[in-house]
Amino acid sequence: MNKNLILLVPVLLPVIAGIALAFPKIFPERKTRWWFVCAVCAIELVFVFCAAGGGYELTLARFNDRLAFVLRPDALSLLFGGLCAIMWLSASIFSEKYFSHGKDERMYQCFFLASIGVIVALCISGNLVTMYMFYEMMTLFMLPLVVWERTKEAIHAGYSFFFYSIAGAFLGLFGFFLFYSSKISLEFTPGGHITAGMAGVDRELLLFACFLGIVGFGSKAGMFPLHGWLPVAHPVAPAPASALLSGNVTKMGVLFIIRIIYYIVGADFVRGTWVQNTFLVLTLLTILMGSVIASREQLLKRRLAYSTVSQVSYVLFGVALMNPAAMLGALLHIVFHSVAKNTLFLSAGAFIHQTGFTKASELRGIGKRMPITTWMFTLVSLTLVGIPPTSAFLSKWYLAEGSLTSAIPVFSYLGPAILLISAVFTAAYLLPISVNGFLLGLLEDSDKKIFRREKEPLGMVIPMIILAAAAVGLGIFPNALIRFLNSIITTIL
Amino acid sequence: MTENILLISLLFLPFLGAFSLIFLKEKFLGLFSAGIGIAEFVLALILGIGTLLGGGYFCGIAGVLGFGLNFTMDGFRAVYLIILSFMWMTALIFSPEYMKGHGNQRRYYLFTLLTLGATAGVFLSADLMSMFLFFEVMSFTSYVWVAQEETKGALRAAQTYLAVAVVGGMVMLMGLFLLSHLTGTLVMAELRTACAAVKERGTLFVAGCLMLFGFGAKAGMFPLHIWLPKAHPVAPAPASALLSGVLTKAGIFGVILLSGSILCGEENFGFLVLFLGVITMFLGAILGVFSIDLKRTFACSSVSQIGFILTGLGAMNLTHERMFAINGTFLHMVNHSLIKLVLFLLAGIVYKNLHTLDFNKIKGFGKGKPFFLITYGAGALAIGGMPLFSGYISKTLLHEAIVEASHAYHGSLHLWITAAEWIFLISGGMTVAYMLKVFFVLFLEEPSEAVKHHGILPYVSRPVQVLLGIPAVLFAILGMFPNVLMRPLAKCAEPFFTGGMAEEEGELVQYFSFTNLKGAMISLAIGIFVYFVIVRKWMRTREDARYLNRIPVWLDLEDGIYRPLFCRVLPFLFGVPCRILDRLISEKFFAQILPFLLAIPCRFFDKFIDGVVWVLHCTVFAEVQDKERERGANRFAYLIGRAFDGVSEFFRRITKRGKRKEQSYAQRFDAGQEKISRTVRLVTRSVSYGLLLSCIGLLATMLYLLLSL
Repeated sequence: MNKNLILLVPVLLPVIAGIALAFPKIFPERKTRWWFVCAVCAIELVFVFCAAGGGYELTLARFNDRLAFVLRPDALSLLFGGLCAIMWLSASIFSEKYFSHGKDERMYQCFFLASIGVIVALCISGNLVTMYMFYEMMTLFMLPLVVWERTKEAIHAGYSFFFYSIAGAFLGLFGFFLFYSSKISLEFTPGGHITAGMAGVDRELLLFACFLGIVGFGSKAGMFPLHGWLPVAHPVAPAPASALLSGNVTKMGVLFIIRIIYYIVGADFVRGTWVQNTFLVLTLLTILMGSVIASREQLLKRRLAYSTVSQVSYVLFGVALMNPAAMLGALLHIVFHSVAKNTLFLSAGAFIHQTGFTKASELRGIGKRMPITTWMFTLVSLTLVGIPPTSAFLSKWYLAEGSLTSAIPVFSYLGPAILLISAVFTAAYLLPISVNGFLLGLLEDSDKKIFRREKEPLGMVIPMIILAAAAVGLGIFPNALIRFLNSIITTIL
Repeated sequence: MTENILLISLLFLPFLGAFSLIFLKEKFLGLFSAGIGIAEFVLALILGIGTLLGGGYFCGIAGVLGFGLNFTMDGFRAVYLIILSFMWMTALIFSPEYMKGHGNQRRYYLFTLLTLGATAGVFLSADLMSMFLFFEVMSFTSYVWVAQEETKGALRAAQTYLAVAVVGGMVMLMGLFLLSHLTGTLVMAELRTACAAVKERGTLFVAGCLMLFGFGAKAGMFPLHIWLPKAHPVAPAPASALLSGVLTKAGIFGVILLSGSILCGEENFGFLVLFLGVITMFLGAILGVFSIDLKRTFACSSVSQIGFILTGLGAMNLTHERMFAINGTFLHMVNHSLIKLVLFLLAGIVYKNLHTLDFNKIKGFGKGKPFFLITYGAGALAIGGMPLFSGYISKTLLHEAIVEASHAYHGSLHLWITAAEWIFLISGGMTVAYMLKVFFVLFLEEPSEAVKHHGILPYVSRPVQVLLGIPAVLFAILGMFPNVLMRPLAKCAEPFFTGGMAEEEGELVQYFSFTNLKGAMISLAIGIFVYFVIVRKWMRTREDARYLNRIPVWLDLEDGIYRPLFCRVLPFLFGVPCRILDRLISEKFFAQILPFLLAIPCRFFDKFIDGVVWVLHCTVFAEVQDKERERGANRFAYLIGRAFDGVSEFFRRITKRGKRKEQSYAQRFDAGQEKISRTVRLVTRSVSYGLLLSCIGLLATMLYLLLSL
């Protein structure tokens, strides 16, 4: 038996498990069903690590000598896939309580499981075509999670999510056609395929293709101008789903852009061109815009959505700078933001589940009611602002270092300045929630109803505690992670 | 320098102590924290004395935070560690009696210990990265002090404190980015040589200014002093003492690095710091004179004294005789820390007994309390710069430093620095004025109702008396033997100020010579004049000797400028363009405008063929009604129909069965005939349409063939 078939396990296992759950006969008890979901996610996590490490390669289908569906994991796949699997696991643990009062969530669980399979497949894809296929599938599989509430807003948000994704993907696809017609290989090779003396290549055309890819897949990553789906989709999706959308699905856009720049055309090809400059402008604009709007947004989950818009662009800024320090900052921020944002959304979900409050101003005194949740919220808020010793400080440091050493005129100084201005805004939209939560009394009209210290459900608290501990702990002991990321960076830069 | 792992325990002891507080019973909180405070002091004392006798210690934790944490202990750090741990110990021992009856005690002790660890970390750190880490932790943990009481005023002050801390921290970080980029090192001991080698002086200067912003925010430098007069009065008194005595010094610690190492010898930076220092000094003193609240007076005094220190740091870069400035700055830091410890804890004693700090309500509290009189008197005389007290020594040195600086320049610069010297003397005078004001309030005025009601109860515990007595006595002893006691103290801090470089020895100062005494006398005279003329005549009502707040409400930098700017103007300025980008460009453009614009040509192409058909329908295929022929056909069908009708009626009558038909055959045939004729018409038209199109096609083909030939 071909040992490369192990690659199919993390892809097919959740999908099959998801399909199985669709039959009402299987696991009629909702609690056992959630245990099953958690178990599948845990097994998935193990297999992602097994599959990504062994240098396997599997061709699913071959159309001609340049087009094939190939799975070929590398270290970058491990980073993204492993992160997704961890977050899916924590979200599944959280979800059991979150859905405890509401309609039957069987279909939600189906798509929840199926989507992780598809996303892992996306992460371990070996060429652009495969990746594109799984990317579209991911959009389709996540759509039911977004529209789960089936209210008018949810449907509207679903449309938004879908159309922005598809429109962006098509832009990128057009870029792929240009690559294909220019005889550029679509296989991922660290460092890219275009070498300096390559003959018969229309550089302008390829740059344009690359730009289309950046803008198109930037849609998933919430980069201006195609970020519009995030603030619409996040507030209406169930909290665990918005956590995953925000913490992980946006990162798939980033992965795609990294694959295009560093694995198809190569950083040297893009460095110093109009594409890099435009990319930098877009990311900086998004960083500032996201955090400014977030600080003026009252709805907690929408505020967090805009925060994601801003934070994912930190990552893209690092990707756009194309030097090792900035890249390290970007990859670190992928991990740190994912951990922090998942925690933020989970705790927002816990607030909503326990109190029904959705606005930031309504959460006064929440720290007295739900101390653990609010503490976790506070810790990851500080992480996101970038207060040492929490983790995101490190990524910001490397991003700034990368920016200053890049010596790109204007941007090398403007970048760190905007990062820090945005950090001040981040503090302005996150910290007041904790401050008011701990130090103010509860709202007058809600006094009678909820002034009691509630027992916070263990299933909700545990994933938050673990993630928040990771957000702080990774900042204090980052060396293993940095070594791993540096091993990726040395291959591509 | 030897490696000593014990340095880390100075940090870990309070941190671990803080976390173990979580599991402690409520009543042991104070005792346990005081124990930690004492242990920390003993540890600091052992290490400090070891450092002062030996060559100092260093140690590091590699790998933490990616960069590793590095700590070191030299003379400056040893002295400050001893002072800060002494202050913390005193504050923690005083805390149980002050906090009695207050809520949230666990939180208070927890964050007091955390702040102790962080502050020790700031002063021990050997590189700017470690320092920044502990600086931020310190800012956030001390936030809880300010918000501790949870009153409206406290929360507002805490908000300001947090905002200043966050903005200051981020601006400082930007400075650190630039500095690390320019020099490649953040190790404090290497900074002076590394910075001297930097070619891009402009960028380095910008980096220095950014860091000055961050450190100045913590130190209470104008225009970032706004948090100080608000935060100190609302925080618990032990916490105010620490905020004012130590935390502001953490900011000064950074400014010393800037003036002494990073931008050493940079004149412009010297002028900038001098300018800001003079303003801070003067402004704080004025606010102090106006204040009618005990703790607020001391807080404003802190602002003013920080101004004195900054003035010294500014003067340091303006002259080659740097020793006066270096020694004066350091000694004033030490003095100010200890003096503020005494004064704020005295204020805490007042508050603990009377639950108010308003001058009109605490009048005469000190009467008949000798301990109170001695400690307050020593503190006030020291800070007022009275000869024979320690404050006189440090102020004389600072004065000397400014005079040296003014000698180094000619022309208008000389005049400006001389003006600064006069402001220095006037500010010193106003220090005397507000200390006199407090003295009169506490000890000489007729006791207020509250004080009379309170009587002379045991108002303070014995250990606190001892702990406050030590610094009070120290002020006098140090002040009496400056060249024996204070000079060696200043000497051990010199290497830190000069960034490890050797500097030429300063000459021995004759503190009690006429020239030096003259300055102090001028200040004293100004102070007495200000008190008796301005305070007594203008700030107090004649009838019942009530103190009035003469400072207009609108004259508040925070409410007047910062809050509107940061809460309204900036969010608006940033918000509007961002909204436009977000809504208009992204949402509206992609969701509405773009589809609309795309739809216009698409509709056109969509309806194009339909339009052609319509046009043809109106023109070539316009309906021609052939009425004659139809009527003829109708008549024929009618006749046959009538015949069928007749036959069927006939049969019905014979058989006498069935109903009479609804519709006559004539009508049916008529309708059927109509249908047939319409179909025939349609077929002919379709065929003709098809023929027409194929004709067009043929024509097009012919044209193509013709053209291609």
